[in-house]
Amino acid sequence: MGFSYLDWSIVAIYLAASLAAGLLGKRFIGTSVSHYLVAGRELGLYIGIATLAATEIGTITFMYNAELGYRYGFAAFCAALISGLAMVIVGRTGFVIRRFRELQLMTVPEYFERKYSLGLRLLTGILVALGGILNMGVFLKIEGEFLTIVSGIPGRYLVLTMTVILILEVLYTVVGGMVSVVITDFLQYVLLSVATILVSIYAVHYAGWNNIVDKVSGTMGLAGFNPLVNPKFGLTFLIWQLLLWFSIHTCWQTTAMRMFSTKTPEISRRVMTWTGFIYLGRGMLPMLWGIAALTLFGAGPMDHGVPSPLVHGRALQTLDAMPAMLSLILRPGIKGIVVAGMLAATMSVNSSYLLGWSSIISQDVVLPMRRLLHKQPLNSRAQIVLNRVANLFVSLFLMFWGLYYTPPGAVYLYLNVTGTIFLAGAFVCVTGGLYWRRANTAGGYSAMLMGAAGAIVPFFFLHWNETIAGFAAFGLAGFGLVLGSVLGRHRKAPLVSVKRGATT
Amino acid sequence: MRTWQVFWSVSLLVAGGSFTLITVAVAIKGFEDLRDLFRRLHHQQDRQE
Repeated sequence: MGFSYLDWSIVAIYLAASLAAGLLGKRFIGTSVSHYLVAGRELGLYIGIATLAATEIGTITFMYNAELGYRYGFAAFCAALISGLAMVIVGRTGFVIRRFRELQLMTVPEYFERKYSLGLRLLTGILVALGGILNMGVFLKIEGEFLTIVSGIPGRYLVLTMTVILILEVLYTVVGGMVSVVITDFLQYVLLSVATILVSIYAVHYAGWNNIVDKVSGTMGLAGFNPLVNPKFGLTFLIWQLLLWFSIHTCWQTTAMRMFSTKTPEISRRVMTWTGFIYLGRGMLPMLWGIAALTLFGAGPMDHGVPSPLVHGRALQTLDAMPAMLSLILRPGIKGIVVAGMLAATMSVNSSYLLGWSSIISQDVVLPMRRLLHKQPLNSRAQIVLNRVANLFVSLFLMFWGLYYTPPGAVYLYLNVTGTIFLAGAFVCVTGGLYWRRANTAGGYSAMLMGAAGAIVPFFFLHWNETIAGFAAFGLAGFGLVLGSVLGRHRKAPLVSVKRGATT
Repeated sequence: MRTWQVFWSVSLLVAGGSFTLITVAVAIKGFEDLRDLFRRLHHQQDRQE
C-alpha cells in the first residue's frame, strides 16, 4: 500500500515546520562559539531530555533494534535493558558526567588536554572523528531503505531523497549550530515519540500478543527468551554491552555535548536519569516491532536459524521486515504521521551527529594542529566558520560513503564495533584520569592506541565476532592505561583542577 | 521459559509506560524550557555586547 495525498501533506508540513524552526536558531548564535556548540550552557531539564533522546533515537535505531528482535526474539531485550539501566546508574551517581560538566568542556577530547597533553587530545580527536564518521556512515542508506519501503517511493529515487533530507539537515545545523539542533530536536522528539507509540499499538494489535510469544517459542525455543543460552549473546556479550553502554553514556560526543550544554551539573544528572527510562523503550519497542514482523511474515527460507520475511511471495532481508510490515498494516493518515515521525528521528540524529563530529574535527584536530605548528589562535568568529566548513566536509563524506557502503552482519553490532574503536580507549582514559591519581600521558597514549587496535584488528582483519573484538578493545585499553602509567613518567599536578559546584 | 516470558513482559510494560509518560511531560514542560533558553541566550548576547 503506497502513500496517499494525505500522507504526503503531513510529511510536507513537517519538513517545512522543521526547517523554519531550525533556521530560527541563527538569531541566538551571534559570534560566540559556546552558543554555537553548547547552546550557551542554558539547557533546562525538559528540553535537555528532549534533545538527548532525539539525538540518540533515529530511524537507524528503529531499524537495527527491529532487526535484533526479528533475529533473536525477546532475548534481544537484554541489550535495551542494559542500555537503559546503565544510563539511569550514570544519572543517579553522576559518574563522569558531573565532573565533565563542572570542567565546562565543549568536546570530550578537550578533557585529554586538560588531564594529559595536547598531543593526546589530537590523537583522541582523530580516533573519535574516524570512529564516529564511520559509525554514522551507514545511517543514510538504511534510513533511505526504510523510507522507500514504507512510503513506496521507487528505489531509483533513494539517493535523491536522502540527498534532499541531508541538505535540509545541513542547512539549519550549519547556520544555527546547537541552538538550531535543540529547537528542532524538541519538535522532532515529540513527533517521533507519537510515531513510536502508534506503531507499537498497531504491531501488537495486528500480530496478537499470544501469537508473538508462540512464534518466538516455536522458532527459537528458550534461546528466544534467555540471553544466557542464546548463542549470539551469553555472559561475555552482556559484560561487553555493560562496558560499552557506560562508555557511550559518558564519552560519546553527541551525548556528552548535551551534558556540557545543561545549566548545571545537577540538571545534567537529572537529564541522564530520566532519559535512561526512555532508553528502555527506545530499544524494546522497536525490537517488539521486529518480533511482530517475524510473527506476521516469518515464513521464508531459513537464514541463520530464523525464517526470512516473506512478503507478497518475495523473501526479504531481515532488516527490511519491519518497514515492510508498516507499509502493509498502517492506514492512510497514520502512515503519514509515522513517516513524518521517522523523518523527524532521522533528521534529529543526523543533525546532532553532524554537529558532534564536525566539532571534533574543528576543535580537537584542526585547532590543536595549529597550536603544534605555532600558528596564531583563531578568534570565536573564525572558529564558528571552521566548524561550519567541517560540517560541510562531514556531510559530503556521508553522501558518498553512506549511500554506497553496506555493513557486514547485523547493523547493531557493526555500529557497536565502530564506536568501540575510540570508546574503549576514551572511556578508560576518562575514568582513569578522573578517578585514578597515577594515570598519566604515557598510559593515555597506550590506552587509546591499544583500544583502537583491539577493535580494528580482530573485527576488520581477523574477522572475529563482534563480542570478542569489543571485549579485546576494552581489555587492551585498560591494560594499556595501567602499563603505560606504571612505566611512564608520573606528572604530579594535573593541568586543571576540578571545580566543584560550578554552574556556568 | 515461563519466568523469562513474565520478566520480559513486565519490562516491556515498564518501558512502554515510562516512554509515554515522559513524552507527555516533555511535550508540555519543554515549551517553557525553550522560552527560557531563548531569554537566557538573548541576555548573554546583550551582556557580551
